[in-house]
Amino acid sequence: MILNQIFDAINLGIVILDADLKIQSWNRWMEIHSGIEAGDVVGKPALESFPNLDNPRFIRSCKSVFSFGNFCFFSQKLHGYLFPFKSSSYVGSEFKYMQQSCAMGPLRDENNQIKCLFIYVQDVTEVAVYERKLVEMSMRDGLTGIYNRRFMDTKLNEEYFRHTRYSRAFSIIMFDIDKFKKVNDEYGHQCGDFILKSVSSRISASIRNIDFLFRYGGEEFCCILPETNLEGAELVAERFRTAIMEMENNFNGDVIKITISLGVADLTNDTASPGDLIQHADEALYRAKRGGRNRVESYSVNKK
Amino acid sequence: MIKSILIVDDSPIARKMLKSCLPKDRGYEFYEAGDGKEGCEKYTQIRPDITFMDLTMPVMTGYEAIEEIVKNDKNALIIVVTADVQMKAIKRVLDLGAYMVLKKPLKREEIQSVLLKAQDTLQKTG
Amino acid sequence: MDIEAQSTNHITDEELAILQEIMNIAFGQSASDLAEVIDTHVLLAVPFIKVMKVTELPGYIKEQVKEYKQISIVEQKFWGKFKGDALLVFSSGSGKALINLLQSDDRRGMEAGPIDILERETLMEVGNILIGACVGKLAELLRDVVTYTPPLVMVEKEYEEAISSGYYDHEKTAIVLKTDFRFESGNVSGFLFLVTSNESIKWLRDALQRFIEQYE
Repeated sequence: MILNQIFDAINLGIVILDADLKIQSWNRWMEIHSGIEAGDVVGKPALESFPNLDNPRFIRSCKSVFSFGNFCFFSQKLHGYLFPFKSSSYVGSEFKYMQQSCAMGPLRDENNQIKCLFIYVQDVTEVAVYERKLVEMSMRDGLTGIYNRRFMDTKLNEEYFRHTRYSRAFSIIMFDIDKFKKVNDEYGHQCGDFILKSVSSRISASIRNIDFLFRYGGEEFCCILPETNLEGAELVAERFRTAIMEMENNFNGDVIKITISLGVADLTNDTASPGDLIQHADEALYRAKRGGRNRVESYSVNKK
Repeated sequence: MIKSILIVDDSPIARKMLKSCLPKDRGYEFYEAGDGKEGCEKYTQIRPDITFMDLTMPVMTGYEAIEEIVKNDKNALIIVVTADVQMKAIKRVLDLGAYMVLKKPLKREEIQSVLLKAQDTLQKTG
Repeated sequence: MDIEAQSTNHITDEELAILQEIMNIAFGQSASDLAEVIDTHVLLAVPFIKVMKVTELPGYIKEQVKEYKQISIVEQKFWGKFKGDALLVFSSGSGKALINLLQSDDRRGMEAGPIDILERETLMEVGNILIGACVGKLAELLRDVVTYTPPLVMVEKEYEEAISSGYYDHEKTAIVLKTDFRFESGNVSGFLFLVTSNESIKWLRDALQRFIEQYE
């Protein structure tokens, strides 16, 4: 009697599937959050009612539970959700669907044979939102708001690996603000900060959604361009250069003009690691500086 | 008539388990070997009517032992007893000349029917 | 039956031999079921059993895995009357090899999430299944039912760093069951260590006796 009441009173979704993956039970929590009454899903195949479950991972997990009686876990971090329920709160939800932490396990009969499996569903949206904020903060540069060096190390690694794995074109641009120290000396450090912010936002506005801009060091920046070859990257770098050159920076009544120097490099047979890519772009950047600044130079094996 | 039975398995417990599934009241003579090589030697010595063979053994595996025994006696009646019954393994041992494959852990009733069948076959091949 | 041995937690050689055979059967059965579930043949070697003090455990594991400079680990605790810890140690590169192996998830491809999360997820999933297969079958033969904690995963760490000594700090006895495993396709290999807790040993000995009594 009491246990039955727990089934519907608990703040947890509970679904029971039989060996054919048909829904045997659907508790009150599931009804409330799905908007689907138990009567409408019980007896029907789960994969029909929720087509997003029809994926190898979910099916493999079910098979595993029926074969071995182990528990399978679906964390929010890796899966987001199992059941697509609209976010239950009205207040600022960043997620389209409720974020869920789920687990499934075996249910046995009197002879200890596995007859069904249970899935429990926990709403972890609030925690997920909070975590996301924390992660965002740790990836961003405090002053300019763009991504920071720490995040760059991870992201560059990941994109490098992915692009080499699928043999795609990949380029990076390293650039820094010419004679930045002079700006600080003449107009003060607050102006320097303002310039950094202006450059960041101007460049951010001109890159695609798949590109990433990072603050690499004091006045140094790095931009990674997925699916882009050297020629494409050179065009982009030139665009950056002219955009910054033409920018009129108004600070406390002064109009300050600055320029940037840029080094471009792409993924080749020479780049054995992400570090090599950076090194090549850096060498090209150095040549740009030596070549008079306010210019774009590309890495090439011959040009050393 | 089945008189002698050879059991080849590196686990003494497995040999014990198998023996206990075999009827004691038929006057069978039981022989045992702890690896494939010993199994071949004892086979040559004793020429048992039925041989139960494990597959994963040191010194010489069950696969190698089956091959060796069948080479010298093409009428050898070898029953493979193994925990891993995947299609590939089964096909391989049958190709090598094994009579049939049984899955561990064994059950008494299963063994009874296997022995009856084997007896029939022995009588036919003389 | 040695009465003195019975009353202490000292497991006898005969009992270890029974456990060995049970593990052999359990792993043999797991291998075929595993092939069904993850679509790949897994070779599980004959298990090796060792009894030792818990404090010796980290040293022992480090010794076994040291040829792998870097390892990934999936760890789960299991709770039944048979209780303990399952430690699945994968050789370096296994995570990435598994991603390629489970390519059925390739709606991902280029738009996939970060590779390190994918690697973690794959190790966790396969690790969970492998552990569940081995422990589950073992428990079944011992007539026990076990539940599991969520898996903990550590990806590509130096083996020295990965196996911490701090946790294993008491003098109690543990039985360590070690199995080499290898996936037939792809470069995935490693070891499974099952460490039974001291409290389980008495129950385990009884269960082993019950098992062999069926064959007496």
